[in-house]
Amino acid sequence: MSNWKLVNKVFLYDGTFEGFLSLVFYCFTLKTLPQKIYPIEKYYTNFLETTIAIETDYNKSKRVFDGIYNNISFDTLYNSFYAFLSDQKDKELNILKYLCDGFELGPKINSMLTVPYVFSVLSMKKRACSECHKLKGLVRFMEISNNIYYSSIHPDNNIIEPLGQHFIKRIPNQNFIIHDKNRNLCFLYNCSINQNNHSPYQNNGAVYQNNAVAYRNNDTSYQNNGPAYQIIDGSNFKLPKLSDKEKYYKLLWKVFFETIAIKERKNPRCQMQFMPKKYWDDLIEM
Amino acid sequence: MEILEKLKILADSAKYDASCSSSGSNRKNTKNGIGNANNSGICHTWGADGRCISLLKILFTNSCMYDCKYCINRSSNTVPRATFTPREVADLTINFYKRNYIEGLFLSSAVIKSPDYTMEKLLQTVNILRNEYNFNGYIHCKTIPGCSPELIDKLGLLVDRLSINIELPSNNSLKLLAPQKEKNGILKPMEYVSKNIMQNSQIKSKHKKLFVPAGQTTQLIIGATPETDLKILKLSEGLYTKLKLKRVYYSAYISINNDKNLPTLKAPPLLRENRLYQADWLLRFYGFTSDQLLDVSHPNFNTLLDPKCDWAIRHLDKFPVEINKADYYTLLRVPGIGVISAKRIILARRNFSLKFENLKKLGVVLKRAQYFITCQGKYYDKIYKFTPNFIERNLLYDERKTLIEQKFEQLSIFDNLLPAKEDKVKCLTGNL
Ligand code: SF4
Repeated sequence: MSNWKLVNKVFLYDGTFEGFLSLVFYCFTLKTLPQKIYPIEKYYTNFLETTIAIETDYNKSKRVFDGIYNNISFDTLYNSFYAFLSDQKDKELNILKYLCDGFELGPKINSMLTVPYVFSVLSMKKRACSECHKLKGLVRFMEISNNIYYSSIHPDNNIIEPLGQHFIKRIPNQNFIIHDKNRNLCFLYNCSINQNNHSPYQNNGAVYQNNAVAYRNNDTSYQNNGPAYQIIDGSNFKLPKLSDKEKYYKLLWKVFFETIAIKERKNPRCQMQFMPKKYWDDLIEM
Repeated sequence: MEILEKLKILADSAKYDASCSSSGSNRKNTKNGIGNANNSGICHTWGADGRCISLLKILFTNSCMYDCKYCINRSSNTVPRATFTPREVADLTINFYKRNYIEGLFLSSAVIKSPDYTMEKLLQTVNILRNEYNFNGYIHCKTIPGCSPELIDKLGLLVDRLSINIELPSNNSLKLLAPQKEKNGILKPMEYVSKNIMQNSQIKSKHKKLFVPAGQTTQLIIGATPETDLKILKLSEGLYTKLKLKRVYYSAYISINNDKNLPTLKAPPLLRENRLYQADWLLRFYGFTSDQLLDVSHPNFNTLLDPKCDWAIRHLDKFPVEINKADYYTLLRVPGIGVISAKRIILARRNFSLKFENLKKLGVVLKRAQYFITCQGKYYDKIYKFTPNFIERNLLYDERKTLIEQKFEQLSIFDNLLPAKEDKVKCLTGNL
């Protein structure tokens, strides 16, 4: 990165991972590092700053994506992807620097924990990953109509996609919706599409991200079939009235939950530590 | 009886089993199937006691023909009794699973009619789940003491984990408090399962049938009987090395029944339980042996210091350790350095020599580690001479603060004992 020039500009991109990779491509060709990077919708115009809006180009982003995978390492790709999903404000600049060094130094970049932006990328990744893992347990589906299941979540990080993919593997024969209420995004999975192996949903944005996870799991099926899911805006979603059957299962779960705790060992503090209040709204039992 | 009623009774009588882990199995989903297992396990919620809930933990029945003194379900107690049918359990499991309430089923049971009859019922239940409902989620099942090996063979091919609880850590205590359960009735099936697991793991074929892929576990009750920590830890060590158990759970005794052979405790000995868990950790992941941690002149853990600090203070001749040179296991013995931070240190020092200011970022708890390490030959502070007393006083101060903050009831004082990956989630969740 030593011969790169730092320009006093703000780079803007569309907020997607592909958009960000296009931005990385741009920085690489010109060997420039911006002052700041923002998703367009989050940027408030400031007349002291010069901005450059970088267009999303799927070919370029694919080249960067493959380049990271082939020339640095899978881990670097994985770290960048999850760090990108994190909610940290300066994530883009840190990932950019991490990738710059990565292309220069190769896979050993991941062991350079004492370099601030490497450390930052790794801790962002860790946060996003562990929230994703936690939500794999905390998601509560309810059947809102025949074989359609719905769950709302309030995550800090934008982990709806890897989360949804987890459930596709787990309950492939249920249609489901996961609703990220903090971002108003809905992950929709249609099981009949998955079964018939065709992909009417051309959600370009999702394909690459999907691949990042699929590579990781050594799973090529997604690449071949295309995703049977899409991520859409969820502002208009209205929860239908629940059936009696659904209410009964909720009750059974609540009763089980309350019964299984040992009174003599009561420890609300410990409970809260593992299950912070911010998740309680979506839990049936709390 | 209504399902709701049964669930209440049979979850209530299952709650004393400490295990609720869903780790150790990689079972994949099948075509038209439902469910898969996650190797590191997934917690679905945390109960009011702070323990993680990951499985639907219930008894098949609580109508027991035995009369173990410590047990709520013993035949001489008058408690409400209930028995599920295999179909009821299977349906409940599937419906909870579809809604992601749970990671799978933990089915245990009191002994009804005969050990074999009880085992048959468990087998029927699991069979419905696996073969009729194509369920591939996690199943943990109890082996009933005294059951026949053929039934274990069948069950082992369907479940992820089997467990049989030893409960009382010595022969004498078993005789006294669980007279109808013979020691051999417990150990025989346990050995049988281990042998089969080991044989199965030697088969290399890709298409082999899994036999208890998540291994076998057991539980010991702490504080109902007079065994020392040393005796208990030795037992666990034997179970890990000889029988290759995956986990030994420790369960602080809760006085439920009155009996002349049982103590009446005001509160369960949670701190002691916690110390045993910490020590257990040291056995499994830190390369310690029980003899290093305790001996006849020192048969119980220090209630005020965790086992690793306690050990370190008694072995100051082994310190200080140079961060930039020490090997992995030497690093692991330093209080304040855990599995993760030790690995990170080894990774990071390949690139350059580490200084104290780097260590915090690597996850080292300097407050503890500072007395035991040097970086580039230098101590953290200007004090060059540490005496055991000085260190102990300082560490005690910190630990006491933690204990007070956690009101002595915290289960997971694991800040300096970061676990290895496989168990990470479970342990940190206090589901021990
Ligand atoms: S056999 Fe099990 S359920 Fe029955 S009394 Fe003994 S411990 Fe309790």
